[in-house]
Amino acid sequence: MVDSQGESERRPFEEVFYPTDRVPLVEWREFSGAKSTVAVMAAITVLAFVTGLSNLSQPQPVVEGPLAAVLPLSRTFVRFAGVLFAFPLGLVTVGLQRRKRVAWVAAMALLPGLTLLPLTTGRTTEIPLLLLVFAAVPLLATNRDVFSQSLDLSSLQIAALTSILGVGLYGTVGAYGLRDQFLELDGWGDAFYYVIVTIATVGYGDITPVTTEAKLFSLSVILLGTGAFTVAVGALIGPAIESRMAAAFGTMTVSELSLLEDHVVVLGYGDVTESFLDLMDEETDLVVVTENADAASRLAGGGIEVLTDDPTDESALRDARVDVASGVAVAGDDDAENVLAVLAARNVNPDVRIVAVANEETHVRKLDAVGADEIIDLRAIGGRLLGESLLSGDETDSERSRSDRSEQAES
Amino acid sequence: MSGSAESEPARMLSDALLVAFVGSGTIVLVGFFFPSFVGDALGGRAWLGLSLLFFGSGLGYLAALPYEGVEANETYAASLLRVRRGSLRSLLSNLVSLQNPITLGVPVLVFALYFVLQILFPETTVELVNGLSDSVLRGMGPVLLGAVLLAVAYCAVLLLSSWGDVKLGGDDVEPTYTYPTYFSLVFTAGIAAGIVFWGPAEALFHYRQPPPYFDVPAQSDAAVGAALVYALFHWGLSAWSAYAVLGIPIAYFVFERGAPLRVSSILTPFLGADSLDSPWSRLVDTLAVFATIGGIATSIALVSQQFLTGVEFQWGVPPGGVGPVLFVGGLAAVFVLSAVSGLHRGIRRIAGLNVVLFGLFGVLLFAVGPRGFVVDRGTEAVGAYLLHFVPMSLFSSGSWVTEWTVWNWAWWFSWAPFAGLFLAALSRGRRIRTIVLTSVGATSAATGAWFLVFGGTSLSMQRSGTTDVLAAIEARGGSEAVAGYPILSALPLGDLLLFLFLALIVVFIVTSADTSTLIAALLASRRGIAPSRGTIALWGGVQASVALAVILVGGGETLQALAVLTGAPFAVLAVVAMIGLSLALYREERGQGHTSLVRLVLDRLPDIQTHHDIEPPDREK
Repeated sequence: MVDSQGESERRPFEEVFYPTDRVPLVEWREFSGAKSTVAVMAAITVLAFVTGLSNLSQPQPVVEGPLAAVLPLSRTFVRFAGVLFAFPLGLVTVGLQRRKRVAWVAAMALLPGLTLLPLTTGRTTEIPLLLLVFAAVPLLATNRDVFSQSLDLSSLQIAALTSILGVGLYGTVGAYGLRDQFLELDGWGDAFYYVIVTIATVGYGDITPVTTEAKLFSLSVILLGTGAFTVAVGALIGPAIESRMAAAFGTMTVSELSLLEDHVVVLGYGDVTESFLDLMDEETDLVVVTENADAASRLAGGGIEVLTDDPTDESALRDARVDVASGVAVAGDDDAENVLAVLAARNVNPDVRIVAVANEETHVRKLDAVGADEIIDLRAIGGRLLGESLLSGDETDSERSRSDRSEQAES
Repeated sequence: MSGSAESEPARMLSDALLVAFVGSGTIVLVGFFFPSFVGDALGGRAWLGLSLLFFGSGLGYLAALPYEGVEANETYAASLLRVRRGSLRSLLSNLVSLQNPITLGVPVLVFALYFVLQILFPETTVELVNGLSDSVLRGMGPVLLGAVLLAVAYCAVLLLSSWGDVKLGGDDVEPTYTYPTYFSLVFTAGIAAGIVFWGPAEALFHYRQPPPYFDVPAQSDAAVGAALVYALFHWGLSAWSAYAVLGIPIAYFVFERGAPLRVSSILTPFLGADSLDSPWSRLVDTLAVFATIGGIATSIALVSQQFLTGVEFQWGVPPGGVGPVLFVGGLAAVFVLSAVSGLHRGIRRIAGLNVVLFGLFGVLLFAVGPRGFVVDRGTEAVGAYLLHFVPMSLFSSGSWVTEWTVWNWAWWFSWAPFAGLFLAALSRGRRIRTIVLTSVGATSAATGAWFLVFGGTSLSMQRSGTTDVLAAIEARGGSEAVAGYPILSALPLGDLLLFLFLALIVVFIVTSADTSTLIAALLASRRGIAPSRGTIALWGGVQASVALAVILVGGGETLQALAVLTGAPFAVLAVVAMIGLSLALYREERGQGHTSLVRLVLDRLPDIQTHHDIEPPDREK
């Protein structure tokens, strides 16, 4: 209770006012990462949808914003824009979550378009959306490099998408050219409407071909269009279903691996791997990369993600997402392979923490030289434990038996 | 993660707050986006309650979030266990034993006595206090005016002279609080929700009844200029200097001389750092606690009443009998949680949110308001303010000056012990020059911009006849509480601005109340003991009880007058502090190689005739 103020001692008020060395107003790093970007985009999607619904619920769309006079068709735009922006934005958010480059570009293109909505209506309810968009654009710009995954469409998917586009173009232009041979087809809008209604096999029947030429043209659109549509659905949705099936059986596909982040990658399968895997808790995501097919199937049966591939191959490591992993354990039985694996992992991610196992003491320096952060020398550790337990058997025993007794032993 | 493992009840608390925040937020958002569907389904009172729950739980959640990297030295579980083990009474007596009996007892006794008198003889008490207040303000008027002008001049000296170069805590100490944190904490602690109400009202009042210094007809075009100048004057450099001239001496003696962090440390050069236990210093600290609790607890109560008055005026929702009690109770829960959670958690985050909301509101208001009028009249007013600053500061004739300027200075001085002490506590590792620039320069720039934008907007609308704000104020018996509503509802984006307006009022009360709770706990703790969480909670309880008593018993304005009276002795103490700091700086810092700001600027200027053969004057370090 005495007021003692030694030079080095912390003074009483400093406990309250100086709890830590540095107090920034906002921990920018927490809020400016890729995850926050995705979260903001998700919030924009939801808000755009809600705002769009709110606009739709108005008996008359309000157009009182600064852009209302400039923008053509502002009433129609206001009525539908919110909801129609929300759907592509939802796709973009999923793409950003998977760190896709295309999604980043699409977001940068969609967001300026979305700002037109609040600026046209001038309603109060649109202001939160506007503010969020203003927050999202700098976030996207600063995190540009994170969203670098290419879309990786298969050739079938590309072909399907192109043919849908092709048929759409062919049908629209063709229907417009033959518009005299159709009932009630008057302009580009009607032609486009007719093609979509036909390809989707809805066929309202309000626009009908009357000449043989037009009927043949319509048949070609039906055959090509529905074909392309079906193939596209199969090619785009199929892989997703496939990967869900695969996930059910425990082998990860590349697209599933792309969801991993801050996980631990184990390169190679050796004597220590099993006990290491036992030690890891449920919370940590693990991926084992090994060429050993027996071990792979056994591990996969035990619920551990396995990529059956060469752990010294950099493209395999990229598939295992070493570039965003929180750590790499190199634990093969062959030190030569371990050295190559460390090299490959270091090439893929210069910053990740790599811990390697050395099976021979003479290889410790080599592993260190190629960039492992820590090297576990199995034989040296085993030897030391053997010696220690021989010299003071009781202590190691009691340390293992109970924690409170170990405290006594130490004191 | 190790270190930040919070205990189970703490996590449950923050989870519950998050659920309340998201739940009420969703309903409020739905009401906001689809007013035609759900607007009428719930009554006005339900909407008000939901909005307040939304604000309150959000602020509480911010406070309850853990801070990465700092271990909680006492877990909630441990404190809860302690509560369960001992009775509440033994817990309280434990806490009280950690307090200095005088600094805790005297203010509590005075408040209790006041409320007893207020219940038994309400009229006599009001008369007595008002008479006292009148005579003190009239008698001390010149002293207060002089002290404030002296404070501004002293701050200018500290800023420009070589004394400004002194770095508190030694040259190798780095400031813990980054500059944005530092500014936000100082700004939001020193100003309460008054700024939100007075923002539109102050200029209007001066427009209706122009200050006698400017001899202009009431409600004329010339009165617009006079009103804006006086709004700037009452909330500008002079006001903030009152905090700085108490805060900087405290900071100097605390970090350079090892004095304890108390208001009485300003007496260090007269008593010596080791003999600060004298009756004089106890008197100063007790007075500081009284001023802090009295000033802020009454502000909480009055602002709450004004908040509810405004809501009733705008939306016709009567607060009812329990309304104010619930409102003050909810506020108390939030600010106690914020204060207990610590400076780096609740207080810092809510202060940051406050500054962001303040800026956002100001920018929105400027964007949708009469920009041309605000810019034209605002620049004129700033020019006139600088030109007439000294004569206005010295102008002392007439009852108008006593009612407005002198009362205002006394008010700021009564907050100075708390705001100054808080400023001092945060200033380790800062140069005196930086402290002045932040606590006087940056803060008055922020309040000045606010009064120009909000006051300019209200004056423009009053003059153009868009809304008759003065009539609305008249209809409510001259209460400044209602001034903001007619203005905001007449603007584009009015409903959003009103929503932000309500949020700002709540946040501004919380940011002042949580820091004042912390400071009162610090002042009342025994020497050499840091205030524990329990102590902070105890003082939060005292503040809340005073505020509730004001609501229930009445007489809030009288109690506020009583608290404001403490401004007079603190004006005198501020002069003492300035003399003490000058003496200490003169004795200690001479010949230490400090560079004045003027010299730094001159050195930066390109030399036209340089004498390369002559070494620059000797300035090591």
